Amino acid sequence: MSVGFIGAGQLAQALVRGFSVAGVIATHRITASSPDTELPTVQQLRKMGVNFTTSNKETVNKSDVLFLAVKPHIIPFVLDEIGPDIEDRHLIVSCAAGVTISSIEKKLQQYRSSPKVMRCMTNTPVVVREGATVYATGTHAEVEDGKLLEQLMASVGYCTEVEEDLIDAVTGLSGSGPAYAFLAVDALADGGVKMGLPRRLAVRLGAQALLGAARMLLDSEQHPGQLKDNVCSPGGATIHALHVMESGGFRSLLINAVEASCVRTRELQFLADQEKISSAAIKKTTLDKVLQQPGVTAETVSVRNRGISMFNSSNPKIKKN
Amino acid sequence: MYKPLRIGFIGAGNMAFGIAKGMLSGNVLPVNIKVSAPSSRNMKRFQEVGISVTHSNAEVVCGSDVVFVAVKPHLVRLVLSEISQYVTKKHIVVSVAAGVTLSVLEELLPENSIVIRLMPNLPCLVQEGALLFTRGANAKQEHGDVLRSLLHCCGLVEEGPEAWIDIHTGLSGSGVAFVYLFAEALAEGAVKMGMPSSLAHSIASQTVLGAGRLLRDSGKHPAQLRSEVCTPGGTTIYGLHTLEQGGLRASVMSAVESATERARELGSK
Repeated sequence: MSVGFIGAGQLAQALVRGFSVAGVIATHRITASSPDTELPTVQQLRKMGVNFTTSNKETVNKSDVLFLAVKPHIIPFVLDEIGPDIEDRHLIVSCAAGVTISSIEKKLQQYRSSPKVMRCMTNTPVVVREGATVYATGTHAEVEDGKLLEQLMASVGYCTEVEEDLIDAVTGLSGSGPAYAFLAVDALADGGVKMGLPRRLAVRLGAQALLGAARMLLDSEQHPGQLKDNVCSPGGATIHALHVMESGGFRSLLINAVEASCVRTRELQFLADQEKISSAAIKKTTLDKVLQQPGVTAETVSVRNRGISMFNSSNPKIKKN
Repeated sequence: MYKPLRIGFIGAGNMAFGIAKGMLSGNVLPVNIKVSAPSSRNMKRFQEVGISVTHSNAEVVCGSDVVFVAVKPHLVRLVLSEISQYVTKKHIVVSVAAGVTLSVLEELLPENSIVIRLMPNLPCLVQEGALLFTRGANAKQEHGDVLRSLLHCCGLVEEGPEAWIDIHTGLSGSGVAFVYLFAEALAEGAVKMGMPSSLAHSIASQTVLGAGRLLRDSGKHPAQLRSEVCTPGGTTIYGLHTLEQGGLRASVMSAVESATERARELGSK
């Protein structure tokens, strides 16, 4: 089995690193492509033994499982570019936030009647094999495809299948979650430093406290509320601190954060579904580089003067299967 | 021959009545309870359940083994000075006066008196009280056990060091009022949304009661019960979010803190 990544950025690098450490696939069986060869992640991928190319078509041809690891607004260009090269064996796994399975299937159905599409939402800690991944299965993907993806993603953390309509909520919670944790550890470390600890030690202890607490919770049957109680001796330091946190509205802040991230994901998806994004919204350099690829012309990616249509399926140059 | 304990109450107010009622639904007979008070105002309800009444505090003390001092805190000194001469080594004196410490009680009574300080709360009236007691210098384990056996039908009975009495006051003495405030607000929310007031109030009180019983009897952590009520994306989690945004948890913690600190202040005067 070969794995390909369209896109060679943070996500591709994190997944490749995780897969490689887990030993679930040899890196020489992985291909990654990107128009930008200067990205630091590209160097890392090469170092890990991944076949790097500037040609998305090459990635498609060399892969069975194809991860779409580009930013959401690039997805339509990529789909138009690789559409003709998709074969029956291919399992397309989109990792793009807010991009629906149906929009991808609609695009690919111009080239193939039953494209096998899955959608996953993962997060950056896959790089240390502590990722949180969910996936939803497309119309033409089989049970074995789900099992295959689950096997890959479970090697780098927790993985489970969900209904597609929950993916936005997952994005808000565990997609963005590591950022919330980084913010928390940074602030905890500030607290430590304020009270006299050296910064490095404070960061180390803050991170370890979160890590340890998470491990306890995952290993325990108990409710986090119960575990919290277990730490709070009567009249002690911790309960005083917790009161401060409650007074600051800590809980509602976190609820609000998850909600904001989820709502924004839905907004972005809505914008995408509107099928209209101004060309200014797309980094010009990226578009130029995409257009420089062999076999890619402005017509095939439907660039029009009045704006770029995200999911235009009425391009007469594309032959239907 | 087995001699049943004789119980006396100095003071005939709500607290005395609530505790007496609780005892009666346990294994105490009305004939073994006597109550004293200066006026006849509150005596009728005791007489209605077969408890004898008197105006003489001395009579109650001399005729009892366990004496409950159930007068208002500012009257305690007066009462104890009066009855001190009748208190023997065999008596168990139980004070329910808020803010009157064991050391004050022991100072007013003869040396070596067996004194217990008890903090009940209002729902003792319906035998759903939360009672915390603390033993004085001469009160032994078995005296605590006697008190427990008398009070077990009044509600939850627990023992602790004296330092916990003020906390208990804040949590459960005043806590009852906090719950009433919450119930009133629940009802008002419903009225705002269109429900008639009297229905809203009766449903609010039943909601508090039902939730309370489930909490007590399930043995589960309240956080666990809360999670169990919250369907994903449902009404409850939306409402809870609003409560969290309003900082309810912190307010409640602070309320218990304020009440406790006030109890401590009052007790030190």
